[in-house]
Amino acid sequence: MEEFYQRFVSNFIEDNRYMYLVRGLITTLVITFFAVMIGALLGFIIAIIRSTYSKTGKLRVLNFLCNIYITVIRGTPVVVQLLIIYFVIFGSVNINKIFVAVLAFGLNSGAYVSEIVRSGIMSVDEGQFEAGRSLGFNYNQTMRLIILPQAIKNILPALGNEFIVLLKETSVCGFIALEDLTKAGDIIRGRTYDAFMPLIAVALIYLTLVIIFTKLVNYLERRLRNSDH
Amino acid sequence: MKLKKVMAVVLAGVMMASLAGCSTKSNVKINVIADLKGTTVGVQTGTTGDILVTDDKELGVKTVEHYNKGFEAVQSLIQGKIDAVVIDDQPAKVFVEKNKGLKIIDEEYTSEDYAIGIAKGNTELKDKINAAIAQIKEDGTLQGIIDYYIGNVEGSSPYVKKDVERPNGTLVMATNAEFPPYESIEGNSVVGLDVDMAQAIADILGMDLKVEDMAFDSIIANITTGKSDIGVAGLTDTEDRRQSIDFSDSYYTGRQVIIVKE
Repeated sequence: MEEFYQRFVSNFIEDNRYMYLVRGLITTLVITFFAVMIGALLGFIIAIIRSTYSKTGKLRVLNFLCNIYITVIRGTPVVVQLLIIYFVIFGSVNINKIFVAVLAFGLNSGAYVSEIVRSGIMSVDEGQFEAGRSLGFNYNQTMRLIILPQAIKNILPALGNEFIVLLKETSVCGFIALEDLTKAGDIIRGRTYDAFMPLIAVALIYLTLVIIFTKLVNYLERRLRNSDH
Repeated sequence: MKLKKVMAVVLAGVMMASLAGCSTKSNVKINVIADLKGTTVGVQTGTTGDILVTDDKELGVKTVEHYNKGFEAVQSLIQGKIDAVVIDDQPAKVFVEKNKGLKIIDEEYTSEDYAIGIAKGNTELKDKINAAIAQIKEDGTLQGIIDYYIGNVEGSSPYVKKDVERPNGTLVMATNAEFPPYESIEGNSVVGLDVDMAQAIADILGMDLKVEDMAFDSIIANITTGKSDIGVAGLTDTEDRRQSIDFSDSYYTGRQVIIVKE
């Protein structure tokens, strides 16, 4: 017990090492938040383009570009994309690393979200579409007022899943020397040479975040389901 | 539509904020160690360079950036993302040789004793290794290896594995093969000063040598958990590390140097 306490002190208290974790946590949250924003926005736009193409045959060129984007993003690991953005695309500029990470994870998440949203749109019965059109709505109105609200309700669990994955995926930020939560644990580990304490602490923080997030998604789901009855 | 508009506004805000955060390429001229005040310095996580720069308040470094690999820190330096890199002198020489426009500051930062890391309390192995180190120092084997890898002495050659009986099992060595000339990957195997020296020691102990390449900051955890018998990776013998592992006698004295742009 005495030894455990000693290790706790040297890993977190000495030299204010817990501040690494606090700063890392903030970085992780900031990156995840903005990446989710970009991912959701991109995902919705791409899903609408792709399902419009498959329903009406319009937007051929955009659909083609979206397909390339999805193929490339889903076909390469996110850490490679992160390194490419940092060391190749922004190779010669001294760029804010948080921005690089937000861009990389946002672009990455967009590809996955788009397929989730598209599955939601496709899952809404074709009859809903016809009903909308026969009420006098045009294609855009039908999409916005009838299809998307139903689609969102269907895809909420899958979206929640995607955001949880994204939160944990940001742990590869350390590759571009960004001090996110995982890297913070590594820095402490590099100073104290103790594997147990920093790793368990980092794991517990991620776990707590995911639990809180899951609760939020569940709450949202319940609220949306109220309209079912 | 409202949701989209809100998101568009938020996004635009993020972009602006992020762009504002991008400073222009730094043009700091660094010629002596004292010039490091207020600069951004890159290090490899967990190395002595990292610990020195982070703890050295007199140095007055503004930010320390922790890279997974030494060469990534050097790459960032080349791209102007950071102002300097603190690293061991021998890898530094290799990096500077291979990249135009870099130089090593002509001032020694600190010197340090490299030693082999061994699990705490394993005095039996430690004594054996110390005896072997003494022997290769005595008979000139170690100097021969140093001559080849560091001195680039003409006519020197890498250590050749001896044809001896190996009845005493396997000696598992943890290393981080990104530190030429101490260790780097050539073809499919890890080569370098540390590997040759470990082979010479294994030959004396009558053991097989197995080299395991891993992240530098995992080496000590590997020794403490018994996954590896020894850690040989230009490991500096420090008081902090002695809390977790034991060290053999020193086999080489290296230096920490600072790489900057010309």
